[in-house]
Amino acid sequence: MALPTTAQEAVYVQTARDLLAQEQRRQLWHALKISMVVAALLLVVALLLSLLRLDFAYIRQNAGFVTGGLLLTIGVSLASILFASILGLLGALGRLSRNPVALGVSGFYISLIRGTPLLVQIYIIYLGLPQIGQQISLMGYPQIGDLLILTAIQSGILALSVNYGAYMTEIFRAGILAVSSGQWQAAAALGMGKGMTLRHIVLPQAIRTVIPAIGNQFIAMQKDSTLVSIMGIWEITYRANRLARRESKFMEMFLLAAALYWVLTILSEWLQRKLEDRMARSERR
Amino acid sequence: MNLRLVCLILAAALLLTACSSPPPPTAAPADLLAAIQARGTLRISTDPAYPPQSELVPEAKRVANSKCASDERTASEFSGFDIDAAVEIARRLGVEPCFVTPDWTLITGGNWAGRWDLSVGSMTITPERLEKLYFSQPYYTTPAAFFVHTDSTRFAAAADLSGATIGGCSGCTYEFYVDGSLAIPGESIDFVVKNAAFVGYESDLPALQDLSLGDGVRLDAVITALPTGVEAIGNGLPVKQLGDPVYFEYLAAAFDRASSLDTRSFQAQVNAAIQAMHADGALKTLSEKYYGVDLASAAGKFDLALLGQ
Repeated sequence: MALPTTAQEAVYVQTARDLLAQEQRRQLWHALKISMVVAALLLVVALLLSLLRLDFAYIRQNAGFVTGGLLLTIGVSLASILFASILGLLGALGRLSRNPVALGVSGFYISLIRGTPLLVQIYIIYLGLPQIGQQISLMGYPQIGDLLILTAIQSGILALSVNYGAYMTEIFRAGILAVSSGQWQAAAALGMGKGMTLRHIVLPQAIRTVIPAIGNQFIAMQKDSTLVSIMGIWEITYRANRLARRESKFMEMFLLAAALYWVLTILSEWLQRKLEDRMARSERR
Repeated sequence: MNLRLVCLILAAALLLTACSSPPPPTAAPADLLAAIQARGTLRISTDPAYPPQSELVPEAKRVANSKCASDERTASEFSGFDIDAAVEIARRLGVEPCFVTPDWTLITGGNWAGRWDLSVGSMTITPERLEKLYFSQPYYTTPAAFFVHTDSTRFAAAADLSGATIGGCSGCTYEFYVDGSLAIPGESIDFVVKNAAFVGYESDLPALQDLSLGDGVRLDAVITALPTGVEAIGNGLPVKQLGDPVYFEYLAAAFDRASSLDTRSFQAQVNAAIQAMHADGALKTLSEKYYGVDLASAAGKFDLALLGQ
């Protein structure tokens, strides 16, 4: 095949450039159209909100106080998602194991927790555990009994962890099953034991698969963490609700709380994308 | 190995139940008052959802050098009648007031597990609550009174309302008073109104609004809380109070029956403080500040012994 002449080469380069520019224009136009739709939706929401005749001065005046609950909401959610992930992983290993104790315990845990509402679980942990603790103390084991009297924050984190852990069991189970059985066989061929294969081969791959689902649970948990306000924890919703009662400014305060949660969710989505990108580096190479 | 583990769990469970069957004699529980004095703080529960009894002060700073724990709130972060009364009780006990803010249902249900010592939350004394809580000397009352239209000249006293049409909040104590079945612990109620027709409303205000349509148009009278009626008059509704209050709901501080510490000396101290606050007019002044009327004095005359707790 004859080499192209310089003139022909220039034409090819120009065509390639044109195509590239055209593609860039198309992408830009596409992004612009999406932004226009979002802008239109925001406008509709703003219009609807303007019908509420909100007292913006009240919102500005109290924004600082309600935002003061942000750290508690983030703290409780982060601690709970951490413990829930551990419980979820252990639960998944139990479900996948052939050991009758592990199977029984994990099956019972998942069924019981998924079968009861989070609010009821919070009440039981906050109200019920101390009563059991008192009885144990009366039997002569005050050290064990006192352990069961949890503070409001401890109760909240325990309830959220146990609850989300049960749901996340299925996430981890799916993640582990998504790693092809060939990986287990290859590891076995190399003389690796089951535990070693799990730690070094299967889990690192499974974790990558489940990151989006865990992020999803974390975002949901930020909103469910409002339930701990019944124990008097001053997170976002508690502050908004109690402040709203002062001058019956319910819409003002709840919309402020809603906006804070939304910002928190957008930040979490961004964080999740970063984490996914980082985990996917090995794939790209 | 698994079987061994199962056996171990079963054995442990068996041991626990075996231990629990004969309740071993326990030493007398330590004293709550001593614990409070050693701590230097009185932990009070309040739900700042009910102005003017208790509400948040959003721009407030925590009291400097407070002895309250980090998850407790200081008095400066709230305002209201209950808060002022609680602060005064703590002052007379010689300790610092600290506040926790559990949901109202968690307060009324008892079993506080020592998380707080005292509820000062305008709690009405009811037979159901007496099963879970001890009540203090009431610190104020909600008097129930009849209101009629300003044009009405037919009635001179509550007793004249027998056979009349009376409106009020349905399911509240007012309905039970009109049908003659109301029982309030420690109080003997004189049912002066007989054979009245009760019209129930979902709350007090719609009843008062129906009454203000005209004397006898829809209602002859409304029975409601004295401060509610006084507030409606202040808002320009054409109604007036008829005679004296017919009964009082007593509002008291509460202690946990299930406390693992002995609460008796603490109860005595709180009762003494509240009685002193009645005697020197502190509660009357507070009531007039927050409600515009004296709701406190009747509570000072309540005989706590009648509760038999």
